[in-house]
Formats: sequence, C-alpha cells, structure tokens
Amino acid sequence: MAPYIGTATSRVDGLAKVTGTAKYAAEYNAPGLAHASMVGATIAKGRITRIDTTAALRVDGVITVLTHENRPPLADNDQAYNDDVAPEGTPFRPLYDGRIIFNGQPIALVVANTLEAARFAASLVRADYLTEPHVTDIHTKRDRGLAVKDPITPLDALFAPPKQRGAPGPALDGADVRHDGEYYVPIEHHNPMEPFASTAVVESDGRLTIYDKTQGVQNVQRYLCSVLGLKQDDVRVISTFVGGAFGVGLRPQFQAVLAALAARALGRSVRVVLTRQQMYVLGYRPAMIQRIVVGANANGTLNAITHDAVTVTSQHENYYRQETGWSGLLYSCANAKYAHRLAKLDLPTACDMRGPSAATGVYALECAMDELAAALKIDPVELRLRCYSDRDQHDNRPYSSKALRECYHQGAEAFGWHTRNPEPRAMRDGSELVGWGMASGVWDAFQAAITVRIRLSANGHAEVACATSDIGTGTATVMTQVAADMLGLPLDSVSVLLGDSTLPASPVEGGSWIAASVSNGIAATADAIRKELLRLAALMPDSSLSGTEADDVGLVDGMLVSRRDNARAVSIADAMRHSAVDQIEREITTNPIEDAARAHNTHSAVFAEVKVDEQLGVIRVTRVVSAIAAGRIVNTKTATSQILGGVVWGIGMALHEETAIDHRFGRVMNANFAEYHVPVHADVHNIKVIFVDEADDSNPLGIKGVGEIGIVGVAAAIANAVHHATGKRVRDLPITLDKLLGKPS
Amino acid sequence: MVLFDVPGKLNMTGQIRFVLDGEVRELRGVAPTMTVLQWLRDDARRCGTKEGCAEGDCGACTVAIGERRGVDDMRYRAVNSCILFMPMLDGKELVTVESLKHEGRLHPVQRAMVECHGSQCGFCTPGFVMSLFTLYHSGKEPQRETVDDVLAGNLCRCTGYRPIIEAAQRMREYGAKDQFHRRAAATARQLAAIERRDTLALEKDGQRYFAPANLEEFTACFEQYPEAALVGGATDIGLWVTKRHQRPETQIYTGDIAELRRLKIGDDCIEIGGAASLGDVFDALLAEFADFGEILRRFGSVQVRNVATLGGNIANASPIGDIAPLLLALDAALLLRRNRETRLLPIDEFFLAYRKTALRNSEFIDAIRIPRARSGLKFRAYKISKRFDQDISAVCGAFALQLDGSRIAEIRMGFGGMAAVPKRAANAEAALIGEAWNEASARAAMRAIERDFEPMTDMRASAPYRLKLARNLLLKFFLETSNQPGATRVIRRDMAA
Repeated sequence: MAPYIGTATSRVDGLAKVTGTAKYAAEYNAPGLAHASMVGATIAKGRITRIDTTAALRVDGVITVLTHENRPPLADNDQAYNDDVAPEGTPFRPLYDGRIIFNGQPIALVVANTLEAARFAASLVRADYLTEPHVTDIHTKRDRGLAVKDPITPLDALFAPPKQRGAPGPALDGADVRHDGEYYVPIEHHNPMEPFASTAVVESDGRLTIYDKTQGVQNVQRYLCSVLGLKQDDVRVISTFVGGAFGVGLRPQFQAVLAALAARALGRSVRVVLTRQQMYVLGYRPAMIQRIVVGANANGTLNAITHDAVTVTSQHENYYRQETGWSGLLYSCANAKYAHRLAKLDLPTACDMRGPSAATGVYALECAMDELAAALKIDPVELRLRCYSDRDQHDNRPYSSKALRECYHQGAEAFGWHTRNPEPRAMRDGSELVGWGMASGVWDAFQAAITVRIRLSANGHAEVACATSDIGTGTATVMTQVAADMLGLPLDSVSVLLGDSTLPASPVEGGSWIAASVSNGIAATADAIRKELLRLAALMPDSSLSGTEADDVGLVDGMLVSRRDNARAVSIADAMRHSAVDQIEREITTNPIEDAARAHNTHSAVFAEVKVDEQLGVIRVTRVVSAIAAGRIVNTKTATSQILGGVVWGIGMALHEETAIDHRFGRVMNANFAEYHVPVHADVHNIKVIFVDEADDSNPLGIKGVGEIGIVGVAAAIANAVHHATGKRVRDLPITLDKLLGKPS
Repeated sequence: MVLFDVPGKLNMTGQIRFVLDGEVRELRGVAPTMTVLQWLRDDARRCGTKEGCAEGDCGACTVAIGERRGVDDMRYRAVNSCILFMPMLDGKELVTVESLKHEGRLHPVQRAMVECHGSQCGFCTPGFVMSLFTLYHSGKEPQRETVDDVLAGNLCRCTGYRPIIEAAQRMREYGAKDQFHRRAAATARQLAAIERRDTLALEKDGQRYFAPANLEEFTACFEQYPEAALVGGATDIGLWVTKRHQRPETQIYTGDIAELRRLKIGDDCIEIGGAASLGDVFDALLAEFADFGEILRRFGSVQVRNVATLGGNIANASPIGDIAPLLLALDAALLLRRNRETRLLPIDEFFLAYRKTALRNSEFIDAIRIPRARSGLKFRAYKISKRFDQDISAVCGAFALQLDGSRIAEIRMGFGGMAAVPKRAANAEAALIGEAWNEASARAAMRAIERDFEPMTDMRASAPYRLKLARNLLLKFFLETSNQPGATRVIRRDMAA
C-alpha cells in the first residue's frame, strides 16, 4: 500500500533550495518597500530618560524613527500579548514604554528607503537611561530561586516536576552505592542560519500580509491582531520557507511587531531584518545547575533518585519545562523526588531549544548513571539493562511501544562496544587517549489536533493544505509522501500548501509533533475523500464496487480497488466524471486518539568515541552511533538527516556552545559566529544512524517524530567518553580543553 | 572640495565593469562601501545569496569570483560577498547560485546536493553550492580533507554536514564539465577587454575610492591621502562598515597592484608583496615550511584566505593574529615604503603596543621577507583554539631552532595571544642558547617562559591555561624535534624535519 512511506524520498523543495529560488521572509518585495533597522538598549535594566533621533532623521533616505514616544497604538493588557506557547507571566511588549528589562531590548526602529541608510542611521540613535541594578548570573541567584508552582492545569502538569514517589531519603541512606553530582549547562543560542525577518506588505485594500520567519503562522497572526487591535481578516501571515528555527520561532518575535507597526504607521510596506547580533536577544536555552543523587544496590538496580534543578528565566515570565522529570521516568526505581527552582534574571525569557528540558536534564542523568556504573564496576550498557523499565515510572503505565533495549543491543553491536576496556586512560591511539562513552535518550511522542484540507481533481491531481510550517525538517516532503500513498497517486501529482495563516488550522511546528499530527491528519482526510469516491463509483451503472464497504477499498494508481478482489476496480477519473464532479474537497480536523492508559515516548542509545590529545587536551569526536526507536520512519532520508543534525548539535553542546555574558553590563559578549562556536565540518567524523524496528499503534500510521530525539543523550555520551579517555570528569559544559588540564579526578 | 587631487592617470568614468551570466555589466554611482551582497539582494534582486552574519563567519553569502588565467582560461575562487565591496568586482566575473542552472538543467553540484539531501532548511545551501562550485572547478580530488578545507567557512545548523560532504564527493558523477568550462575562453576574452590599466576613481556621498593599477600611482595616491584606509581583502574593513556602520572617507584598494602582490622566491629569502592574498602564497609557504601551511590552512576560511592579505594581517597588529608569531620565529623582516623611500625593519621591532605599529605617515608594507629554510632548521607552529577550524587562537606559538652539533645555536619563539602584541619569548630563548637540546633544557626554558608573559583571562582562555599552553607547546616542540616516538598532532603531518 505504501510505495512512498518508509522510503528515502528526496525532498520536494530541494530544487528550489539549491538554485536559490526558495524565498525566505526577507526576500519578498512590494512596491515602495521601506527597510528598517532595529536599535537595541545598551543597559540591562532601567528606564529611558531621553531618546534622541535627530541625527538619525538627518540621514539621507530616512523616513521615520519609531520609538515608544511616537509609535502607533499598542494593546495595553498582558492578555493581548499572550501567544500559544507563552509561559506564565507578563509578556514583553516591544516599543511599549521607556522601561528596559533586558540588554538589547528594541528601543527604536529606523525606517529608510534603503537598508544601508537604515542601518547607518540606527547607529546614530542615542538614548539616555536611568539605570537600575541588574543580575544576569545564574550563580548569584542559585540559592534564591523561585520554586516552580504546583500544577493547576494539565498543561502545567506537563512542565512542573512530577510528584515524589516512595521515600527517597531513607532509600538513599540504605543504598549500597550512592553518587551525588552537580552538573552545569550554560546558556546556549539556537543560531538558525537565517536571521529573523519580517516583511510587512500593505495590500491595496489596506490589509497586512506579513512574510515572517516563524514556526507557527497562525500563532503570529492571532498575536499581531490582538497586539495591534486588528480584526482576524486584516492580517495574513505567510512563512513558506524557514531557514531553521529550532524553537526560537515558536513564539512570535518582536521583529514581526516592529514591521507591522511601521507599516501601519506609514501606510507603506516595511521590512525588518535582525542582525546576527540582535538574534542573541531572542530566546535561549536556559542555563541549568542541577544536582542528581542516585542510590543503587550492589547488583546494579536503582533504589532512589533525586534531581534538583535551577534554570534561568526572565524577571517577567516563568519559563520552565519538565527538566527534572526525565530522571524518574527512564529507569526502574521505586523512590524518586524532584525540585525545580527558577533563577529570575534581567534577561529575555528563555525558550524552547531543540529537545528542551531533555537535552539538559538527560545530560545530567546519563552522566550520573555513568558515574554510578564506574562506582559499581558494571558496564554502562549492562547497568542500563539492569535498570530497564517496561513501564512509565511516573504513572506506572505501559508504553505504547519502547524498543530501547534493541537500541542498546544494535547500537553496541554497530559500535563494537564489547571490546571496550572499562579502565579510564586504558585505550590509546598513538599519543591520543581514546574514550568510549554511551548514554540513553528519551523524548515525548506527541500528537496534536490538526486540520487538513485535500482537493482531489478529476485530472488526478491532489492539493494538500495545512497551515503548519516546514522549518527545514522536511514536513512538505513527508506530507507529499503520505498524501501520495493514501490517495494512490504518484508524488508529482501531489502539491502541498503550508505556512499560510489562511490555511486549515495547525499548531506551531515544534516538539517533534508535526510529522505524526499532519500525517495522520492527511490519512483521515484522504479517508473521507476515498469514501466520497466510493459513493460516486457506486452510482455508476454496473459498478463493480457497488455494495462494497469503505474499509474494503483502497486507492492505488489512480484506481479505487477492492482489497478483497483487485479485479474489482474503478478509475477515480471515471467515477468523478460520471457524476460530473470536477473536484472533491474535504477538510477534516483530526484529534489524537485518547490513550492516557499508555505512555508515548521515543528512545535512543547513543555511543560516542573521542580522541584526546594528552598534552593539549584537544578533543575530537571521532565516531558516534545513534540507535533510535521512534515508531515508523516516514522518510529515511529526512529522518536520518534529523538525527545527524541532532548528533552534531550534541557535539556542539558537549564541546563548543556557550553564550558568554558580561555580567557588568548584562550583555552577551560572543554574539557572533566567530565566538559563539557551532560545530564545523572538521568537527564531524563518522556518524551512523540506526532506526530500530518499533511498531506502534498509538495513531493509524504509527509515527512518533524524530526532530528532538537526535540530540538527547549525545552530550552525556561524549562527556562519558571524555572521562573514559582521560579519567577526568568534567561536569560543566562545554568541555573545553582548559577544563581537561590538571590531574585526573 | 576637490574630490580627486591625485596625479596620474585617473579613470573618472565613475563606472565599474564586471561579467555576470555571460554579459558585461556596467554600473555607475555605486557607493564605495556597498557590499556585493547588498547589490545582489537589493538592486539586482538576486536573493539566492543570503546574509547569515554580515561578517564573513558563516559563508551563507558565498559567491564565486572568476579571474582570467592566461589568455583563454578562468579560475574561480569563493569569497564572502557580505564583506566584499562592489568596486572590488571591477574586471572580474561574478558567479552566484542563480548562474548555475543551465538550459533548464541543474548544475552537477546542485544535483549532488539534492540527491545526497545536502539541504534541509535551505538557507545555507546557496553558499555551500558556491563553495562546492569552486571545488568543482579547482580540479582537485574531493578527498575528505580537501572537502573539509573548502567548506570550513560554510556553517550549517541542520544537516550535521555529512550529507554535504557526500555531495562534494559525488558531484562529478553528475557531469565532469559545465557551461563555465565550455565558455572559459570567451569569458577570459571578455575580462581582457574590460581590464583597466589606470587608477579607478569613484566618489559617492563624500566617500572616495581609488583602485590604482600600479605601485607608482598607488604611492602618489597614498601621499595625497595619508589618512586613507588601505583595503586589500576587506575582511577587516568590511566589518567596520557592516558592524560599526563606519564609512571610511577614502579607501585605496591594493588588490590590482601587481607589484604588491609579488611572490619572489630568492636564494636567501622569500619575498611576499604586502597585498598578496594568503591564498596567493599558500603553496609556496607550505612547500618551504610545512607548518606555515598548516597554520594558514586554519587561518579563517577559504573565502577569507582568498582575499585577506599577509600585509593586512601584520599591519592590523592584532595580538591574536596568527601570522606574526610565525614571522617572529622565522626572523622575518618588513620592507616598509613611503613613496620612494624604503627601510627594512625586523618584525620584532614592528609591534610597539596594543594595535600600534612602527608604520609612519603614508608608509605601508611593501613586502615581507622571510629567510629561506636553512639546512637543519627545525620549524614548528601550533594554533590552539576551542574549535579546530574557523576559530580565533587562544594561543599561537611558533618555534625555529638551529643546532650547531648538539648545541643550540639559534632559537626563536613567537607567540600570539600571550601579550598585547605578538611577542618573542626572550627569557626562554636566552635560557636555551648554547645549551644542549634535551628535555632538561627544554624544561628549564618552559620555566623561563613564565617570566616572559603575563597573559590575560578572557572568554577564549584563562591566563593560567594560556601560560600552561605556552609551556607545553615548547615541550611539544622538543618532542617533535628530538626523534621522540609517537604522534603529537591532531591532524597528521609529515614528521620529517
């Protein structure tokens, strides 16, 4: 039935991308388009006492400079600034008033006829401030954190620490072996290659079309309408291509408000493009201080685990995910306890970044497990098998599927793990120390309500439409494959419309939920089309399908075919023409199947090899094997690439990435690609991705999603490998060479 | 105001000419600091070329520049269009991602990227395609190491790079020749026809730009405008414009001056013109000093090395530049020139204080003279950075040793990242002169290094780490030059002295 699902189909937008014809938000043009450049605050906290735009206004070509003093009206209540994924608190209001709550906050927008004039004039805007003391260092507030509140709504419960189970205190006291460690992850920034941009086009009827870089066009549309006081029909948001986002495009970003504000003020189309530097005042992965205590019996089973975390958020919003909960979920353990506090700093609000909470929380857990394995003198893989759990430990329920055991086995086999000498510093390659480490990974398999519209034409072409974005993951390709299979059409007879707020409703694209949601949405909508086709076919004289039940027919090669007897078939075109139907259109909302009795997760086992120059401490990650259990893989090419990308993100997290703040000014010091290090080609050696078979019936297509799972566990596997190579346990990321110096710990 | 008060043959047409998609384009009224990227995206509406950082770090804006090689052939080099000024295109061919598709068919590089899934979000893709295009035209075999080099300046945040590396290795399977090969002779003739032999002079909004075609006109120009910014590759000055929004009033471009791009390999020394690009001199320095090549390989990216100049890196006087430490160790001298006056200055007298040099008014670096490698010279250079490629050094150390029998006759050590200027380790050198080259003497010198430097702590490295590195680099140098067994490099190199 499925010639395309499960294959290595090349992306449908590949041609547009390699020829440079794929258009991104900053590339839409409009008559009289003006260019705008944002000015950021230079203090972290305080108030603007005076803002001087006269020099900027004198620059040839400058049209206006918007500030809080002369901007058009903006909503004056917090509710209006909320969005689909806003955390609790008081959302930031761009250009609202003179109050400064983080360094780099937009304080002015210079609009000019050319980008050059706008950028130059922006450098001439001067502001005087009344400064107030600020705090931007998590360490100064680690003991004064705000405890995450007890959950009230089901959504809160997803993010708040789970309830304690058992009696961890006494259990730890009675443990044969106990490990107590503190781990640190710094602030990291997403750094998608495309800078954030919005082109606000004023249409001839006065409505706004915003070409925006976002992971959720309808989220942005609703937000802009409420912030600007506009009607739903007045704003359309389009995001056909997104040059990467990784979570920082989930919430509407301020450049969209600025572009829309300026367009409204001038009655003229305006484009705002942030510079690379300015993107460091968007969201970030929160820095995290975490302490894990694990107690084990001598036989390698866990008897208690406690996980305490402090994470960064802003003064105005409380961002948190369930950072600590992963620790009590993954392994069989009767006693567990969690605590999560927020260090509220004078920074922008933290936000989701690839594998939010799991990338950081599981890093600490999996390093702690490695330390425990060493203390117990048990092989790290063996330890995880002894602690293996077939049931969700939080709610004591089974998994819809969990092939993590196969991940351990197949990953270890492919890596050659059995030849590992367990002693640190025992393996060498010339003067380089060789280390092998491993870790487990886990992520949620979410599915969300989504609406899909399909229009099937009698000429055999299908148009599939949904407002979801494709942030580079391959959503459009997956949608094409699924629709082609479900409708029995070749790939090139299917076209996909997405990234437009006027299309059927979609949640934001994130959390790895879109592949499962939209694929099942397409399947459900295609079902409705198939039923209508069968009804039409049955109307034909002497129809070979009359009296056939809908479930007994399939769509294959442009034919409606009985599954029991494939001689009984009717051409789609004939059935439609007979009833003079040119087009069948169905729009169906598909909700996830209620299945609270089971847990839904993806899993991985990650194996890493590092080589460390003994004298200089230079680390190379020479091999990674990532074995993934994530249900059915729709497209092995795009899914493999998701995992490869995730692994390389893990390399960056382990060895390179760290946002450095000068706490005197509360300002990011390395706000550029030269000094915020993302991995480069030479950092990437052999990476093998294995998808283990995992049948899942949580949704009709058995899809779980792979966008996040690739990064989870990678940093821990590398940190563990570094320990194995050097005998040195570095518990704060990134593991830079200076931290490797000194005597083995 | 007299805009152009310069003797000599000024080209006052106010026009720059270059070839794009087979046609000569003539542009007037271009601002001297307008970047090629800006022109492409805003004026020419060719939005395939992207801005990812506007400072030459990410490669999303990579385009290829074609230059004539002889009468009927072309060579293509990758450059970052975000920090390349439009007038620098004068006389060249510009190739962008839109230029590649031909007669409705994808270029072999583009096909390989599609088939290997080398694109995800697609934003970095055009830059990668153009870097691969230059590799395709270089004729080099796409070995893994070569591919890493060529793509070191292109960042991708989605693919994890492996699919792109595979595309690089397979691109020739989709066709060994392209339309650029086929029309190379015609393009070369087009470029010959627009070649300029006079000084291009442009003016826009109070900004002046001169591109002299020879040394004489250059010196005259610089005499007249001693405050002018000398622009070679604009890999630094480009950032003044894109980041600090400065607009240098007068720029003098040195890239068209053949004399200043000279490379002479004499019996005693290698002489490199002050405006020679790192790409121009790479092979010669690699052949003479293997480790010089090794450091250059990790200096910026291909896009940066293709335009950045050796002279610029020295005159810039950055305490963390990677060239000066090597030149200090190699006992190089700078030929400084002001009009017809020249003087030869040992490089260790050039750096006076933080970003302050011995250059006088209207004086410039005419050439860098590096003594040839004498027999028995042991030279090693090491760059330690957080990220192996495309990163600024925490410490760069270079060592040159000449033994007289078993005794040390000469030793020079140059360090970057250890002081406010690139600096020799005088105490450590003194501790070694006349001594035997053994571990005891090396360790004594390591102790002496601590008296040579008081490095600072910043986000690249802490002061104790820098000091430790400096000491251990000396130990590494000892190990590598005293027939100690075992590899001491992350990347293998020929261990022969």
